[in-house]
Amino acid sequence: MRVAAFLAGMLVAASAAAQDHAVTPGNLEGRPGAESASPLQARLDAAPRGARVLVDAGTYRGDLVIERPVHLVGVGRPVLEGSGSGSVVRIRAADVTIEGFDVDGLGHGDLGRDTSGIHVAAPRATVKDCRVKRALFGVYLREAPGSTVQGTVIEGVPGLEPGEKGSGIHVWNTDGFTLTDNRIYEARDGLYIQSSPHGFVARNVASHVRYGLHYMFSDDNVFEDNRFEYAAAGSAIMYSNRIRFRRNQFLHNRGFASVGLLFKACDDVVAEDNLIADNARGIFLEGSNRDVFRRNIIAESDVAIVLYDSCARIRFEGNSFVANLSPLMLVGRRTDTVVAGNYWSENRELDLDGDGFADRPYRLSSVFDHMRGNLTAADLFAQGLAATALGAAETAFPVLTAITVEDSRPLARPPALPLVPRPERQTRSARLAGLALSLGLVAVGGAAAAAARGSRRR
Amino acid sequence: MTAVSTIHAIALCARQELVLAYRSRWTQTFAVAFAVLALAVAVSGYVLSGGSGVQDFSRTAASLVQLVILLVPLTALLLGVLTLASDRGNAELLFSQPVSRAAILLGRVLGLYQALISAQAIGFGAAGLVIYSQAGEDGVTGFLVVIAAAFVLTGVCLGLAAVIAAGNIGRRRSRALAVALVVWLVLVVLADLAALGAASLLRSGAASRLLITAAIVNPVGAVRTAALLLIDGTAAFGSASLALLRFSGGPLRAGLLLAASLVLWLVLPFWAASRRLSRADI
Repeated sequence: MRVAAFLAGMLVAASAAAQDHAVTPGNLEGRPGAESASPLQARLDAAPRGARVLVDAGTYRGDLVIERPVHLVGVGRPVLEGSGSGSVVRIRAADVTIEGFDVDGLGHGDLGRDTSGIHVAAPRATVKDCRVKRALFGVYLREAPGSTVQGTVIEGVPGLEPGEKGSGIHVWNTDGFTLTDNRIYEARDGLYIQSSPHGFVARNVASHVRYGLHYMFSDDNVFEDNRFEYAAAGSAIMYSNRIRFRRNQFLHNRGFASVGLLFKACDDVVAEDNLIADNARGIFLEGSNRDVFRRNIIAESDVAIVLYDSCARIRFEGNSFVANLSPLMLVGRRTDTVVAGNYWSENRELDLDGDGFADRPYRLSSVFDHMRGNLTAADLFAQGLAATALGAAETAFPVLTAITVEDSRPLARPPALPLVPRPERQTRSARLAGLALSLGLVAVGGAAAAAARGSRRR
Repeated sequence: MTAVSTIHAIALCARQELVLAYRSRWTQTFAVAFAVLALAVAVSGYVLSGGSGVQDFSRTAASLVQLVILLVPLTALLLGVLTLASDRGNAELLFSQPVSRAAILLGRVLGLYQALISAQAIGFGAAGLVIYSQAGEDGVTGFLVVIAAAFVLTGVCLGLAAVIAAGNIGRRRSRALAVALVVWLVLVVLADLAALGAASLLRSGAASRLLITAAIVNPVGAVRTAALLLIDGTAAFGSASLALLRFSGGPLRAGLLLAASLVLWLVLPFWAASRRLSRADI
């Protein structure tokens, strides 16, 4: 049993953790050589402290290091095109603001030296309204407390494997940071936050990445109103305590080991009013304690909750579980999870006394789900009749019950549910092909029948 | 007897069987029932999603796979046995013709096969019209996979029906029907249940191997596994997909294993049936 359970967890959590455990930044890049310096370098070096430096539209080739507190403003979206040998913009002075630039990393650089579109290694930097493309890391905050990245669009290097590129926004060893209204595509992780407490992350979108949002060893963080989709995990939160998050969307994470929300060794997390829909697995919890889930919607998952028995005193209260194929997969032998007052769309129990709660507890655990929790290969039978038969047998012969997990007071009626955003789809041509195919099938079948009927008369 | 005349005899038997099958109320009932159920799956897939088309095609396809897994073996086994375990006089007359028994059997099975799959084609076509006239769907690949699954399973179960019928010569037809029902129950539920039960007693490594083997060896399991893998990719069974691929050594070899299992299930029963028939005293 151990090996199989291990496999399930390994794939998502451990493989990533092993890789990221040792994410330590490379050596700090200094001034670029004369041959790779940006034509703007001299202007910046001459600017007085606190000056507002306006840059006209155009393409400026070469790398730029900012060593004075200035406000650098692009007028008409100038393009900063890197030399290809290191980070394009290197912020080395406190209180720098950069806004309105397109930054192009040309897809070159050195992952080990943290080659970025915009690399910040100073406090209180602000990156605003920029667009970074083809850079290994989009924006890198290295020991940059009080820094802000907002309204920035980051498109990673196309065609690279996740291991060959960096994160969209990478935060390391930074106490207090703000990441808002950014959009990130095709990076390794959308937002990667390591050893950085007291951050605020809001209204970002990360799509087609490995993990949308990834915390490592970062306590006391808050994230709100973000959308994480088309990833191996919408959010992976590891070794970070007291994370609070609200109103985020974790959608369409549909790979074979994909998860909407993954927790590994995270204590005292509070999750409220999130939408976790259309994922292979909704919430994955391992080695975490005292986490609370309130008023979230977990919908259209193959399995709504995967829970390891290494978790303790988890609470699910007032959530809505809608149209999941299976509510719970328990890995291990025991759980003290409290499940109360949630809505389960599969619950057929009546509410005869009209108090808004179904009259009997709703059972989440089943013999088969318990089995597949501990034996990966059992998933092969999840859609077969045998699994259903086991469930029926469990109801008929209560002695079969393995471990009971039940909602003691299930809601009888669904709360107001928002529409689940639809996944990206193919359109017209597929429909026409499908219609043609269907018509063809009817015609062929009908023709065969007609021919046979014809010969009957003969 | 020349090859050409054998082929002619096979075609003649097939034609005869096809005509008989279309006259049969059983076949007609099956065609209607299948179409209605497939339509119900297609429509409910749309209605349950609140008309917004949230339930993507892979879920509708997964439901259609369930329908195929349950209904197709049942009808192919029952109709196959009903037809092939024909009454005594008919069998004596037919097998007294100067054509080999294997050729007659092959012809009849092929005719019946054609009747069943054209009935299914109508059902799938009707469902497809509903599915594809609604809001945008994924491509047609998943739908084609479901249809292929039904056609393969029909062939496998007709072969099994032929074995049952060949072993039933000189006995009452009701006995053959009972055997067919038992075979269906074993294929669809009992084999999987037995595998799961045995797996729960074994250590995890052996249990995994047992379950994966069971999913490949059982023809219904093989069709279900192959179809869902083709439709959903490795997302179909979560990390169990990966366990399967690791066990078989890659996607190509997994596909080959599943295909080999199904080909064996198509060929072996027919071979056994014709062998048994050639030795039977009719």
